[in-house]
Amino acid sequence: MSELPDWQIEIDAGAGRWQAEVNAAESLEALRSLEVQALGKQGEIPALMKRIPQILPQDRKGFGQAVNALQATVAAAIEVRRQALVETLIAAELNDTSFDPTQAALPLRVGHPHPLSTVQADIEAIFTSMGFHVLDYPEIESEFDNFEALNIPGWHPAREMQDTFWLESGHLLRTHTSSGQVRAMHEFKAPFRAIFPGKVFRYESTDASHEHTFHQVEGLMIDRKVTVGHLLDSMRTLLSAILQREVEIRLRPGYFPFVEPGFELDIRCQVCAGAGCSACKRRGWLELLPCGLVHPNVLRAGGLDPDEWQGWAFGLGLSRLVMMRYGVPDVRLLMGGDLRFLSQF
Amino acid sequence: MLVSWRWLSQFVDTQGVDPLQFAEKFTTTVAEIDDVVQWGFGLRDVLVADVLAMAPHPNADKLRLATVDLGGRTVQVVCGAPDLRVGLRVPFVPPGVTLPSGITVRDGEVRGVASPGMLASEKDLGLSDENAGLLSLDGCTAPAGTPLHLAIELEDVLYDVDNKAITHRPDLWGLYGVAREVAAMLDKPLRPFDLELKLGTAMPLAIRVDAPEACPRYTCARLTNVAVAPAPVNARLLLRRLGTRPISNLVDATNLVMLETGNPLHAFDARSLRGNAITVRRAHAHETLTTLDGQLRQLQAHDCVICDAEGPIALAGIMGGADSEIRPDTTEVVLEAANFDAPTIRRTAMRLGMRSESSARFEKALDPVMAEVAARRFLKLCQAWQPQAQIVSQLADMGPFTAEAKPLSIIRTTGTYLRERLGVTVAELSDAWLDACLTQLEFAVARSGDALAVTIPSFRATKDIKIAEDLVEELGRHYGYDNIRSEAPKVAARPPHTPPLKLLERQVRNTLVHAGLTEQVLYGFDDEDTRKRLLLSEPDGAPRVAVRNPISSQHTHMRRNLLPNLLAVAEKGLVQGDDGQPARKGLNIGVFEIGRVFVPEKSDDPGLPPVLVNGTEAEVAAYTAGMEGEMLRGVLDARAGTKPLPLQPIRLGLVFAERLGGGAEGSKLVFPAPEVTHRLLQQMIAALSHLMKWLGRDALTLQATGPEASLGAPDGQPSWRSKLGFDLVTSTGETIGFVAALHPRVRIELDQPAQAVVAELDLRALERVPLFKRVNP
Ligand SMILES: [Zn+2]
Repeated sequence: MSELPDWQIEIDAGAGRWQAEVNAAESLEALRSLEVQALGKQGEIPALMKRIPQILPQDRKGFGQAVNALQATVAAAIEVRRQALVETLIAAELNDTSFDPTQAALPLRVGHPHPLSTVQADIEAIFTSMGFHVLDYPEIESEFDNFEALNIPGWHPAREMQDTFWLESGHLLRTHTSSGQVRAMHEFKAPFRAIFPGKVFRYESTDASHEHTFHQVEGLMIDRKVTVGHLLDSMRTLLSAILQREVEIRLRPGYFPFVEPGFELDIRCQVCAGAGCSACKRRGWLELLPCGLVHPNVLRAGGLDPDEWQGWAFGLGLSRLVMMRYGVPDVRLLMGGDLRFLSQF
Repeated sequence: MLVSWRWLSQFVDTQGVDPLQFAEKFTTTVAEIDDVVQWGFGLRDVLVADVLAMAPHPNADKLRLATVDLGGRTVQVVCGAPDLRVGLRVPFVPPGVTLPSGITVRDGEVRGVASPGMLASEKDLGLSDENAGLLSLDGCTAPAGTPLHLAIELEDVLYDVDNKAITHRPDLWGLYGVAREVAAMLDKPLRPFDLELKLGTAMPLAIRVDAPEACPRYTCARLTNVAVAPAPVNARLLLRRLGTRPISNLVDATNLVMLETGNPLHAFDARSLRGNAITVRRAHAHETLTTLDGQLRQLQAHDCVICDAEGPIALAGIMGGADSEIRPDTTEVVLEAANFDAPTIRRTAMRLGMRSESSARFEKALDPVMAEVAARRFLKLCQAWQPQAQIVSQLADMGPFTAEAKPLSIIRTTGTYLRERLGVTVAELSDAWLDACLTQLEFAVARSGDALAVTIPSFRATKDIKIAEDLVEELGRHYGYDNIRSEAPKVAARPPHTPPLKLLERQVRNTLVHAGLTEQVLYGFDDEDTRKRLLLSEPDGAPRVAVRNPISSQHTHMRRNLLPNLLAVAEKGLVQGDDGQPARKGLNIGVFEIGRVFVPEKSDDPGLPPVLVNGTEAEVAAYTAGMEGEMLRGVLDARAGTKPLPLQPIRLGLVFAERLGGGAEGSKLVFPAPEVTHRLLQQMIAALSHLMKWLGRDALTLQATGPEASLGAPDGQPSWRSKLGFDLVTSTGETIGFVAALHPRVRIELDQPAQAVVAELDLRALERVPLFKRVNP
């Protein structure tokens, strides 16, 4: 055995040292910096090649092969170590239970639609799907559209100061979306069907269930030979769609000058299924909306011949529907502008 | 209004009907019942007792010992009632009996004296809240010891009928009208009133009606030899449970008859009447009357008054005068049973703030025929209670009034039409059923094949029933709306029309919400408090739409701009926090609203059908052809007085606001770093360009010409800063709104140190912005 050259001893020792350092690397980052230190362009192993001139010429080939071998060995060791570390990290990640799902979420800047708009949009979509125009009529109205045209003559109690906001100009703030009925008849003639949602105003003091400004949706269908049977069917279908469940409805007599016959429409209480509970004041039914067949005088005011055309109409309380859907306890929250309330929607 | 089932059963045979179950059918057929109350139950162990003797209690000044006869046995009990006296008939509760209140009467001692039982007040028995003395059983003729429920009328069921459900039904404001409906529902006859009377002639009464339009009917009669005393116990308890306080036999009789017939009555003390003629007329200007409640009333010319020879003695249909009030020593009365014009009564009662049971009924437009019925019922009741009372006059009437003298209203229609409106076939609702139903409700039906001539009974003819559709309702509710087949309408399938502005509004709303802004829906009224606090005003005094009857001094005008209300909610948000972010320095919020503003300038909307505005005379005649009465008058008046509606543009308002630090010691003088204002401006610009992109429309450009002043700040400048304010200009050069920072003087007045950037633009103008052309990258 001939004596090994010094460089051979040094390279062999280097192999052992690198192996030990690779095995000691405890993270992918440490391993990566070791990899750079050993094998990078400026790394220690490629740097060995710079010693070629000092090597005996007959040994140079052997030296080159030895350095390449060292490089391969270290690269392989690093790869093995990397695989091991990756496996450990995958296992650790899979076994991580440190997240506390109850901790507060990070804030996300999002906007909020107003619940009145959301419910109104749902209703508009349902009616649109059934061929109803979605119309918009003025909030400041004439006495004619709000009262006369709806068969509410001058002496009628509903016209007195306590119910209506009057303007200095002699106009008024519409007290119901029904003010659009005769407008729609003149605009579309017959037959047609339409809804007109919007703000309405009542001169009354406010509390948790009363507001001087609230929202309604008027529904109107004008056609030939419209019957109470049609009204029943339309109301059941539409209310089932709006309330997103099959509803049971009933009609009972109700007086509104612009419909005849006029009804209060009740829906079966969902809470008690009709047995009677506090939600329905033990009645088993909840009063939902007024409706009826359009009064012949209203058809006449709309320029339609009541012998030829009839219709049904309803007025749905949009504010009330929002309160029902979301369990809002106080109607004043709807237009109070409180962002803490609105950001819940 | 409360309805007594027991009383009702005097007019209809209700044998075998459970009033608790019947209530639901009543609600769906007649009018909504708010509540069903059971009254006077659980008292079957209570007995009738006569007080035989009274002695002082040895140990208590306020208590006494009463010896009472229970029929064959006597008992001594301790009693604290101040009205205890020998000869009184009272309820006796034996020991061990538990009353409806849950209290069990003990067989024990009261202050050292044995008291095996208790004498009871109305409240003790749960009959009313009256607890001032014992329940006097005056008028009860059963022997002592009789169980109370056999001796007087107890055990009743009360329907609390929703008053709003019967405003259009004058006939239902009396029990008899309700009984008529129940009779029809049960298919039983309605018992007629017994109205036979022995009238006198000794003291004639004359009536002169100078205002027949205010008083369609006036009857009166004179009754002598009456003694004012409590009414019989059954009458008192009936009034009590129907919510009326018993006063005396005469007053109680007027009230009972009003509750029964629906027609209010008034009894005058005849002593105080000057002359023997009654005049009904409009009040003279400056005339006064002191009413029963002691108030001096200033009358006006449209008020209707009842007068004797010297002047007003009653405010017609509302309240009697104090001078002619029934007093304890009254022995002779003049009874008034009349019919007054609904609007007259309503107007006077409203003006004087005197809504009474009487005025509430007259306001419903009562049937003049009922006035005489009510008069006769009263006189019969008085004679039943006081057999010595004598009617010494005829039942005087204002003139030859007979129901037939009024033109009867007849509705001509067909069975087919009535069925068609309901959506039922003749197999479901037969001619025979139809005729019987209307007849039961006292309509007179003349049929010739399918053709019908239906005469409206007087008690439904005042305003309730006029047209065939009203008969549809009568038939429908008694047939049962639940029995009508629900049927899908057959309609032409057409795509619906939605106005483009409506579609744009939806798009704007969705886009801005997705861009992180919170939508607001705010009042159409300006808030004067906010405007004053933030020193906002219309520049150059530009007018706003004024409310004639504002709900408060805060809401006197309609908003001309969205921004003041929107700024106020943003300000509140900075104080209260938003979306879980605490209200502290750096809190940044964005809000928007789409809504109408109101500008008092003529729009092109006349608020009238086009035919009434530009129609030829022939077109107007065709339009009004089928109209009559009030309807026609209303339409023609409207045409004569037409006035265009004000402008009501729909606007979009946006506010971005950020809370500044400082201001903790109450100093609002915190000025924002320029970066804060710039950041808010950038947020606004980003939101608007995002919006335009999503609308698919050309971008808006900002031109530094300064926002047009829509609101003024104190120094006369716009409330929105002109140097940090920009017009929003479209690709076609139209200015459709503005973006601006707050004027510093306005900002300083905010509740919290904050900065805000606002924008307001017209939605219809936005609709005119061209759709953008897509270009290559
Ligand atoms: Zn329920």
